[in-house]
Amino acid sequence: MARLYITWMDRLYLAAMVVSGIALLVMTVVIPVGIFFRYVLNRGISWPEPVAILCMVTFTFIGAAVSYRAGGHIAVKMLTDRVPEGCQRLLARLVDLLMLVISALMLWYSFFLCQGLWFQPVAEFPLLTAGQTYLPLPVGSAILILFVIERLLFGSQAQRPLVMLGNPE
Amino acid sequence: MDALVLLLTLAVLLAVGMPVAFAVGLSAVVGALWIGLPLEALMIQITSGVNKFTLLAIPFFILAGAIMAEGGIARRLVNFAYLFVGFIRGGLSLVNIMASTFFGAISGSSVADTASVGSVMIPEMEKKGYPRAYAAAVTASGSVQAILIPPSHNSVIYSLAAGGTVSVAALFIAGVLPGLLMGGSLMLMCMLFARRRGYPKGEPITLKAALKISVDALWGLMTVVIILGGILSGIFTATESAAVACLWAFFVTMFIYRDYRWNELPKLMFRTVKTVTIVMILIGFAAGFGAVMTWMQLPTRITEFFTSLSDNKYVILMYINILLLLIGTLMDMAPIILILTPVLLPVTNALGIDPVHFGMIMMVNLGIGLITPPVGSVLFVASAVSKQNIEAVVRSMLPFYGMLLAVLALITWIPAISLWLPRLLGMM
Repeated sequence: MARLYITWMDRLYLAAMVVSGIALLVMTVVIPVGIFFRYVLNRGISWPEPVAILCMVTFTFIGAAVSYRAGGHIAVKMLTDRVPEGCQRLLARLVDLLMLVISALMLWYSFFLCQGLWFQPVAEFPLLTAGQTYLPLPVGSAILILFVIERLLFGSQAQRPLVMLGNPE
Repeated sequence: MDALVLLLTLAVLLAVGMPVAFAVGLSAVVGALWIGLPLEALMIQITSGVNKFTLLAIPFFILAGAIMAEGGIARRLVNFAYLFVGFIRGGLSLVNIMASTFFGAISGSSVADTASVGSVMIPEMEKKGYPRAYAAAVTASGSVQAILIPPSHNSVIYSLAAGGTVSVAALFIAGVLPGLLMGGSLMLMCMLFARRRGYPKGEPITLKAALKISVDALWGLMTVVIILGGILSGIFTATESAAVACLWAFFVTMFIYRDYRWNELPKLMFRTVKTVTIVMILIGFAAGFGAVMTWMQLPTRITEFFTSLSDNKYVILMYINILLLLIGTLMDMAPIILILTPVLLPVTNALGIDPVHFGMIMMVNLGIGLITPPVGSVLFVASAVSKQNIEAVVRSMLPFYGMLLAVLALITWIPAISLWLPRLLGMM
């Protein structure tokens, strides 16, 4: 059971990583495209900006879950490093539970936010509705919840070869 | 009472070791519940924290710096710096600091600076008879410049935290002189040490080699020319210049330097995803936290508190400096900028201090915090790269702390160091 769950989390991790990577790539490319149109083709286009921003929101909330599983988020370790080991383990579990609380709250309220704004149009970007542009929040939070549960049950997965992809040597 | 709930929650969550970004988010939730604010509104604040056009500059600048650092820019900048200061007594320590100045013009990250310049310079300095811990201390203190020399993504974060009232371009230009002042004073100190301890001069370089080294480095240094040139001439916005810098960094690394293999690119993307999202999610949560603080009218009350301490603005600035230094030793830069700027900026505005000037004061303070224990990311990296324990590095660094504090005092009390250049260029 544990192995199955972790295997699926590996897949999810990779997918989330690729999505964030692509979002980063797209936003890096569309802004220069906008500049190209403005100066070379003498035609201002409006879509690169909202596309880049949408990519950034996607990248932020999906990527935050990725960084969580990779153990990348910075914490203040000054106090926790100085307590006895048993206490440290207890605090680590407490932090996992707190992470569960914040990610569940995020999922819950951002879901309602998406639902409420699902049909409200966005002026700058007619392709999507306001609710849809908020989608990265609940999706990212859901992924985060799955990773937090994994950590709560099976401990940190930050040392898995797949998760360490891209770490400095 | 409201404020106490908010801050106490944050303090407790940080103390138990919750990741800073999520601790900020959860305390914002607690604060919002306490004052009866609907959490959907908080979610909107969190998202609107990260869907700003200016903010795009942060991933772009970090990506550009990462591409350059991977492509072996550090070695080239070190060689380039060698041409200017290598022949002086204590040459390699000066080269180390000047290479950091150049590196700062490509990447705004002191951590990346220490890692890349340090891994080139520390072994080399040791070979020439410098103690390892001293080499690490020079590298770490030198890298503080990177957050002042444009482009600096911390300036973008500050501009954002200041609610968009301070332009990124003005902050970039304002950082030039303080950065150079810092580099210059550190070099001066290295020269004194070199004389006293008899560190060697470097070997001369032939004109032909010098030419090749210059051309090689200038490809990379074009990044800052593109960024500043684009912003100053009005061709690009700061955000656009950051995106162009990414493309330029990519072009130079893959087609000019050609030290980096194509199949390693996904790894670079992954790494950037990991480093940037940490900052971005923090910015989102901090926006929520900031909104809750504003609803609690915390900034107003803190302004009243500070202005009640003294009538003299320099005395209040000193208190603020001490506060920033203390918090800076405990926490990383980005969260402090995000949380404290909206709180402290009203204070300094009330005192008639220019927000651009205050930005520089904040950067220097927090930059010093990066190299001080107990929590100093640059210090940790310097210790890891040099394989010296933190105590040894800190001991070698003591005189450097003194120098950096003196620079901080100058930047605090002489606004012209920060404001002369942007005013000259008509940016403010």
